[in-house]
Amino acid sequence: MAAADPPSTAAAADGGVTPSIPQPYVLRETLTGHKRAVSSVKFSPDGSLLASASADKTLRIWSTSDLSLRAELSGHDEGVSDVSFSADGLYLCSASDDRTVRIWDLAAAAPVKTLTGHTNYAFCCSFNPQSNMIASGSFDESVRIWEVKSGKCLRVLPAHSEPVTAVDFNRDGSLIISSSYDGLCRIWDSATGHCMKTLIDDESPPVSFVKFSPNGKFVLTATLDSTLKLWNYSAGKFLKTYTGHVNSKFCIPAAFSVTNGKYVVSGSEDNCVYLWELQTRKIIQKLKGHTDTVIAVSCHPSENMIASGALGNDKTVKIWVQKDEDQREA
Amino acid sequence: MNVPIIDPLQGDFPEVIEEYLQHGNMKCIAFNRRGTLLAAGCADGSCVIWDFETRGVAKELRDKDCIAPITSVCWSKYGHHMLASATDKSLTLWNVVNGEKIARVTLQQTTLHARLHPGSCTPSVCLACPLSSAPILVDLNTGSSTVLPVSVSDAGNGTTAPHQRNKFSDGSPPFTPTAATFNRYGDLIYVGNSKGEILIVDSKNIRVHAIIPISGGSVVKDIVFSRNGQYLLTNSNDRVIRVYENLVPRKGAAKELEAMRSLDDEFQGIEKLKVVGSKCLVLFREFQDAVTKIQWKAPCFSGDGEWVIGASASKGEHKLYIWDRAGYLVKILEGPKEALIDLAWHPVRPLVVSVSVAGLVYIWAKDYTENWSAFAPDFKELEENEEYVEREDEFDLMPESEKAKELDINQDEEVDIVTIEKDSAFSDSEASQEELCFLPAIPLPDIPEQQDKCFGSSSKLEDSNHSGSPFSIEAAQNGQAMLPTSSPLEVVGNSTAEEVMGTTGLKRKRRPSAKGLELQAEKGRKPLTKIKPSAKLSKSKNKHGDGLDTNGFVFEDDVTDEYL
Repeated sequence: MAAADPPSTAAAADGGVTPSIPQPYVLRETLTGHKRAVSSVKFSPDGSLLASASADKTLRIWSTSDLSLRAELSGHDEGVSDVSFSADGLYLCSASDDRTVRIWDLAAAAPVKTLTGHTNYAFCCSFNPQSNMIASGSFDESVRIWEVKSGKCLRVLPAHSEPVTAVDFNRDGSLIISSSYDGLCRIWDSATGHCMKTLIDDESPPVSFVKFSPNGKFVLTATLDSTLKLWNYSAGKFLKTYTGHVNSKFCIPAAFSVTNGKYVVSGSEDNCVYLWELQTRKIIQKLKGHTDTVIAVSCHPSENMIASGALGNDKTVKIWVQKDEDQREA
Repeated sequence: MNVPIIDPLQGDFPEVIEEYLQHGNMKCIAFNRRGTLLAAGCADGSCVIWDFETRGVAKELRDKDCIAPITSVCWSKYGHHMLASATDKSLTLWNVVNGEKIARVTLQQTTLHARLHPGSCTPSVCLACPLSSAPILVDLNTGSSTVLPVSVSDAGNGTTAPHQRNKFSDGSPPFTPTAATFNRYGDLIYVGNSKGEILIVDSKNIRVHAIIPISGGSVVKDIVFSRNGQYLLTNSNDRVIRVYENLVPRKGAAKELEAMRSLDDEFQGIEKLKVVGSKCLVLFREFQDAVTKIQWKAPCFSGDGEWVIGASASKGEHKLYIWDRAGYLVKILEGPKEALIDLAWHPVRPLVVSVSVAGLVYIWAKDYTENWSAFAPDFKELEENEEYVEREDEFDLMPESEKAKELDINQDEEVDIVTIEKDSAFSDSEASQEELCFLPAIPLPDIPEQQDKCFGSSSKLEDSNHSGSPFSIEAAQNGQAMLPTSSPLEVVGNSTAEEVMGTTGLKRKRRPSAKGLELQAEKGRKPLTKIKPSAKLSKSKNKHGDGLDTNGFVFEDDVTDEYL
């Protein structure tokens, strides 16, 4: 079992002490089973389940308490790029290269609905907090808003001029943010579909990921120049930058870890999971163990647990917990 | 929805019909507290709850006992319960979450307006206003009712004393058309009687605390509070809508009035009540149409109390008049040629919902012009062409003003990503955790065979199942409901639509358009296209009504007033 990097307390060049996480994350378990690259991992809102999506066209549902496989969902005709839980944890939606978004019933472990309409790969999807709508972004450069109940497409937003890489709802579901390779992040009013704002930086590197902060006031963007930025979207300015990882090819999501101190977590193309302290922007820890690009990360909503998934060379999902919890297990 | 970048002009008023909802024959509507759900009472006795965000049906409340047309619907404060009054003299209290009937009371007359007590989460008391007699407070658990006083006689001390001359010879209750409403917390009831007076009655002990006479003394038809309880409006038979400012503090109003009564020793009896009344309500504005002198119907306030809207009660008209607080008529909205029977303003957004006699619910919204600056923030939108004047040093090789852009951002500042800001639109913050804002959306399962059938032609199909977008409205206004094939708004609705039609699902329907009929004829299938309603459609509706009617509900043909 690969352990995380021991906390670095060596003095740095400037004479100060490199910050370290009080309780470093260590690997608790490696979940195998996917036959091809893992593309996305997500914890359910109540933290009891973990969903992983893969290029092998399936979704796997794991229980977080004993890390056993609960269900395997198949039905997509092509690889799955993204997965999202509904607010009550009863339904999952997944976006796939077969141009559809599917809704799965977890109790029955079966597909319920297929949302067709995208004309190219569906790349990202997200339930709104009320879970009566799903937003999905696609390589056809649009964002579609679907009604969960009937599966009808409520709106098609002419979002970008390049593939849409991420969509996210804010805390009360009133706004949708979308990011794209065209270097822009756009914020939409989810009720009317009108564009509210566009976040643009001076150089516009392709934006590979975007997400609202837990309180919906800030936005975290990842760009393909190996940078993460925290923006105040109403002001249109970014407040913090996080660097040190490698991200220039893949759409690697980032996450906020707020259960035990505030951190930003992201995967990287150098096979590690990076943790930065939110305020100081310093790298607190690098979790090593994957043998390929870490393409997905997710933080447990209440426990100090991080899940990460890696690409084809690795094909596993790794669960990391903070050290003393790990010792409790053993 | 307190987000800084959403248009601050939320307090504005609607201008055009954005969409219409159709499900059975709807007669009356009510928004829940946050405006996320819209309840509609239908002519067949059922109540439909619409998810206002997706404009789809969230739930249907049905019971075999309730088959009479619904006259009014009212939400409980936190949206868990709903009260429906029907023409068979009954009042039914529903549990919205599980769709079951909680209680049912039958009164002596049909209630026109029923309102649940706004003060509690699980109200058991409601105020019922029959057509032509005194309002009654009904306890839904026990079924007992208390008749409220509608007038104060000279001899009396404020208790019930109906006028002798109004009493019928057979002893039935006098003909006293009255309107009544609870105040914001339900401790007071404001009654507008047929003599043109407003009585403030304590809802616990049924004592009249105050009287406010309305000038003109004509019958009060409606009495409505604004959402924040700061303003009260009355709609009188003399064709005037009067807005009063409420001077009584919102919380503990009843106690305040009791105190006022005991303080004032100068006057006695009615005079005293009038003095107290003058301290409670002060006439603020009067609205009328001086030219046509129309009678008003269903007036109400906007969510923030800035605007007053009233519908014209003239026969067959669907006209909405909007006044601002200063008293100016700002807009007259004309709808389709179907008489209006009910009206409601969204609690938060500048949206108005009106019900027409045809059983359709029309949603009026602001006419949105795309804000192009939102798409490209470095560009500025201009109204007119401006001549560009260059700076002196514009083309210098090293212009003075062009300094290197400093990243002035102090990256070390603390950023708070977890604290949640309170929504200022709703002052009752303690309500948020208990409130029912949404009904769980359960996806209706796809039906496999129909899906396969649809896949082949779906990409070519032009049927649009879309709603609410400006594109479809514009197209519809040209007389066709079809979007051009190249439009990105094309939706493959058929596969999902077909499934829903086949299941017992609650689908909102769209009327077929002319082109839709062609496609229907070609494919022998039932299209679901959206079309802007117009006069000629009401006739054609009957033709296709049965074709679309595969669900359990009845597609009403009649366009006439049933029980008004």
